[in-house]
Amino acid sequence: MLAARNITKRFGTTLALDRADFDAHPGEIHALVGENGAGKTTLMNVIAGRIRPEGGEASLDGVALPVGSALGALKAGIAVVNQSPMLFERMSWEENLAFGGFETGRFDLATVAANARRLAARLGFALPYPGTTIDERSMAERVRLEILRALSFEPRVLILDEPTSVLAPSELGAFLHLLRRLRAEGRIIVLITHKLSEALSVADRVTVLREGRVVERTRPAETSEAELARAMIGELPEPQTRAHLAGGDEVALTIENLSLQRDGHRILDRVTLSLRAGEIAGLAGVDGNGQSELVEILARALKADSGEIRMIAAGGDAALAVIPENRDLVGLILDMTLWENLMLSRPLRERATRRAWLDREHAIELCAGLLRRFGIRAPGPEISAAALSGGNRQRLEVARAIASDPRVIVAHNICRGLDLAGTAEVHRTLSEFAAAGGSVLLISSDLDELLEMCGRLFVISAGRIRETAVSERNAETLGMLMAGSWT
Amino acid sequence: MIVSSLARALGAVVLAAAIVALVLLALGASPIGAFVALAEGAFGNWYALTDTVVKATPLVFTGLAISVSFSGALWNIGADGQLVAGAIAAGAIGPWLGGWPRPAAIAILLAAGAAGGALWGGICGWLRARRDTNEVISTIMMNFVAAQLLSWSVHGPLIEASRAYPASTPIAESAHMYMFFSPSRLNLGIVLAIALAVGCYLFLFKTAAGFELRAMGRNRRAATFFGIPTARLTILILTVSGAMAGIGGAVQVSAITHRLYEKMSPGWGFEAIAVALVARLNPIGIIFSSLLFGALDNGSQAVQRGQGVSAELVQVIQALVIIILLAFDTPMFDRLRNSLSAAARPVSRTTTTELSDA
Amino acid sequence: MLEAFLSSSIGMATPVLLAAIGELLVEESGIINIGIEGAMLSGAFFALAVAYFSGSTALGLGAGMAAGAAINALLAVLVINLAVNQVVAGTALDIFAVGITGVFYRKFFGITGKAFIVPLIPKLRLGPLADIPLIGPALFHHNFLVYVTIALVPATGFLLWRTRYGLSLRAAGERPEAADALGLDVYRLRWQALLASGVLAGLGGAYLTLAYAGTFVENISAGRGYVALAVVILGRWKPWGLAAASVLFGAAMALQFGLQALGTTIPYQLFLALPYALTLAVLAIVGGQAASPSALGEPYRRP
Repeated sequence: MLAARNITKRFGTTLALDRADFDAHPGEIHALVGENGAGKTTLMNVIAGRIRPEGGEASLDGVALPVGSALGALKAGIAVVNQSPMLFERMSWEENLAFGGFETGRFDLATVAANARRLAARLGFALPYPGTTIDERSMAERVRLEILRALSFEPRVLILDEPTSVLAPSELGAFLHLLRRLRAEGRIIVLITHKLSEALSVADRVTVLREGRVVERTRPAETSEAELARAMIGELPEPQTRAHLAGGDEVALTIENLSLQRDGHRILDRVTLSLRAGEIAGLAGVDGNGQSELVEILARALKADSGEIRMIAAGGDAALAVIPENRDLVGLILDMTLWENLMLSRPLRERATRRAWLDREHAIELCAGLLRRFGIRAPGPEISAAALSGGNRQRLEVARAIASDPRVIVAHNICRGLDLAGTAEVHRTLSEFAAAGGSVLLISSDLDELLEMCGRLFVISAGRIRETAVSERNAETLGMLMAGSWT
Repeated sequence: MIVSSLARALGAVVLAAAIVALVLLALGASPIGAFVALAEGAFGNWYALTDTVVKATPLVFTGLAISVSFSGALWNIGADGQLVAGAIAAGAIGPWLGGWPRPAAIAILLAAGAAGGALWGGICGWLRARRDTNEVISTIMMNFVAAQLLSWSVHGPLIEASRAYPASTPIAESAHMYMFFSPSRLNLGIVLAIALAVGCYLFLFKTAAGFELRAMGRNRRAATFFGIPTARLTILILTVSGAMAGIGGAVQVSAITHRLYEKMSPGWGFEAIAVALVARLNPIGIIFSSLLFGALDNGSQAVQRGQGVSAELVQVIQALVIIILLAFDTPMFDRLRNSLSAAARPVSRTTTTELSDA
Repeated sequence: MLEAFLSSSIGMATPVLLAAIGELLVEESGIINIGIEGAMLSGAFFALAVAYFSGSTALGLGAGMAAGAAINALLAVLVINLAVNQVVAGTALDIFAVGITGVFYRKFFGITGKAFIVPLIPKLRLGPLADIPLIGPALFHHNFLVYVTIALVPATGFLLWRTRYGLSLRAAGERPEAADALGLDVYRLRWQALLASGVLAGLGGAYLTLAYAGTFVENISAGRGYVALAVVILGRWKPWGLAAASVLFGAAMALQFGLQALGTTIPYQLFLALPYALTLAVLAIVGGQAASPSALGEPYRRP
């Protein structure tokens, strides 16, 4: 049995964990749920020896686990599969697995591969061709490789941190099935997730963390998604205002036959879609099917090989605001100040520029106004963006997009990493924007979000786009479409 | 802010000096004697003082070249070659400017210098933008090519009439820079340098283009995403910074040497890195840090004469100053830094960040 | 004549290749070392100084290697432990090496024009192999350092791609956070790479003074360290590629003597500039750095 008692952890002045208790039995899948920042990952990092707690101890089968030693925890039988697979992109899968426990003697990739194939077969999935590198593999395969690597150490405990956040809906079933097989082998499986439906469907027990404290322990049979959500955020979640704004007749944006090739691969294949004024349309797809490139083309950072983008509004490019997926690395420049980050948006910059001079005062005032209007918690426009929390950074990005007065907003995975309240807020802002006549293209892999927010839904797979029929707009069919059943 | 910058700069120099003192002791020379000689050589009398300014002038030009490129995360290590290229252009056209009125002749000379340096920098800019060629390597290679070009010029096509020395034909008198306070070597060049520094400051911090450059320096990927024309900026900035270094070379020819010699730069392009870092890449600050390093250069001659310690000692000081400043700006010295300045910036992994206040 | 040219090419290629191999190790671990020129120069000087004053070539070689390692150790503290900007730190060390070697040179050898000469490391004839026409003298009649360098090429390939250590090293350069999460000590791996490369660069420098020139002149390394950086890119981060690129550079350097012997009227400066211009031209043609380790040049701080 895995047991953790009284775990307390501070990061600076923040109390990440407050005397948290946790236990899990062999042959059990135990879901650990909570908001982003509730402390789930921190708790597991403590157990896995990656972080030293200020207080409390953890043990496995009565034997105390080494504190602050990842290697020690590994030897004691605890393996972790990270939130985004910690693999080496340019190395082959065999080399990646060589970091596992598949062979400990003389360095021999062939032995690693052979042992890995055996284990994979036992678990019911196949491995790639010899020598292929990770960057050519899909996300699902990467997750499986990472699990395989963790399992090669023959762990008693397998901790999986949000593994399904990168999986396509169609791959979910196979993954959960894999978990059940591992459970049948008598291992302890801890599943960290914020997706309540998954937790309820596969777990034997559920523990809820909120702000570093354990607030509920229960079984799926004795609870529901709504109740778990309430435990997670401490109150009933606001009912979502349905935002299926279908829009008027006026077409705001037309994308026609956009194609892009790179290194012989077709990234985008005659992509065609149109957006109407006042509508929120969705583009559903598993990451890596061309969305990022499409976003870059719309942002004018990348040129398509062929095709056209037409905007009705006068003002051309200025009428389209893009919120990119990678907030901290692309959307914002963390060491610049808030007002400087605002100035990254070309329309805003042009407004603040008079004959090549950048009007600093104007920009700072603009920023201050936006901070107020969007409720961004910050001491002022001149602090660095790195000082903002994740949620506030997102608010800043949304604020920047809206402040540039666009006709169309394109948002890519905009709610990733946000908690329920933050997500609701962003959605509300976008709904208001659409209600006022703007158009929104929501590009996401999150079906819940898309189904909730969007009227028309498109699907993208392998660079091709297709509009879905009303009858197809449910999780199961969409999942299949996202997996490319039509290409 | 100014006080803390000053404290930081002086602190680094003092620490470097302390380390050098130890080296001197190890060599059997007297640190006190050396530093006294240094101070005397740099400030001891009127001529020394003016010569400090004279020696600072090329550092302002190359320092600005470094500051502008580094602000865009363009690692221009070729300011030396760009300065030499500018000098060659100036030295080549100089002798032919006899018939021109003086302001025009000087202007043409400086323009030639700018063109030479611009070419030298621009090639590397183009290679980086279009061929993804590492600009550190390309600018360094161009340094060597420039040196050989200079050598060939003064031995060959540009050699002076009597063919007795490896030096070029002297430039026309009309192209001589305006001098002040003769017989000192103080000249208009320093005024031009200061004007250029102000211009760079305005560009970097007051214009939209300067903002785009700084954004590019902090995060090229984000900059590209927001439509900042990073490729075009790369070429433009390396060309412009090359031009500035080239003007520096032309000023040397016009004001000091009046002709070309085998060696025109004692490493100003590298020293400029220390100059720029001490000033945190701020063009106005570069004016002052150039004076500091000019003083060191000037004084080191006296140290060599008096103490028998090689003038290269000053390069050791330059290197130590860079190293100390680099180390000082890391989290390890956060507390020390916080106590010296009001606002502490969180440190990140983008490369230009720790180097500047931009 | 042609034999002399080929032989010279190999000889000139050797110090560059030594430095390049070291740089390959360092770059695979994720660091770009602009200071390699400084390590070479220091190695050159201290090898000569120690060899001269002690009378022992072996001690000289040792001192050269130690000097190179020392310079790189200083860089390691800066770019690994303090995670500062690698380009600027490397450049600082180059300036430092020029200064330090200059100061010590004046101090020990005075400002007189007297040349301080040491006997060159002798060449070895590899028996019957050296009698093969044309390539015999080119490949099999060199001092032992050349053979050591040639042997290092496949050895480095083996280390990097066929051993667990090499895998760990490459992991550190590919994605240091992942390597860290896997329990690898990224700092230690990078330190080892920098120290090893310092030894190699120092040895390359020592070659210049002890096997090539027999004496020290200011800036004897003449940018070979920087060329080594280009060689790594040109060789696509593969040992045999590095060897080929080094030989190309060596040939460009050897060309200068060959053509001078021919008595052409082409100015000698062209030949002096040729290796650098050629390096630049080939870099431009061959293009980018897509084959470089993913995390190259990014400072990494342990969380």
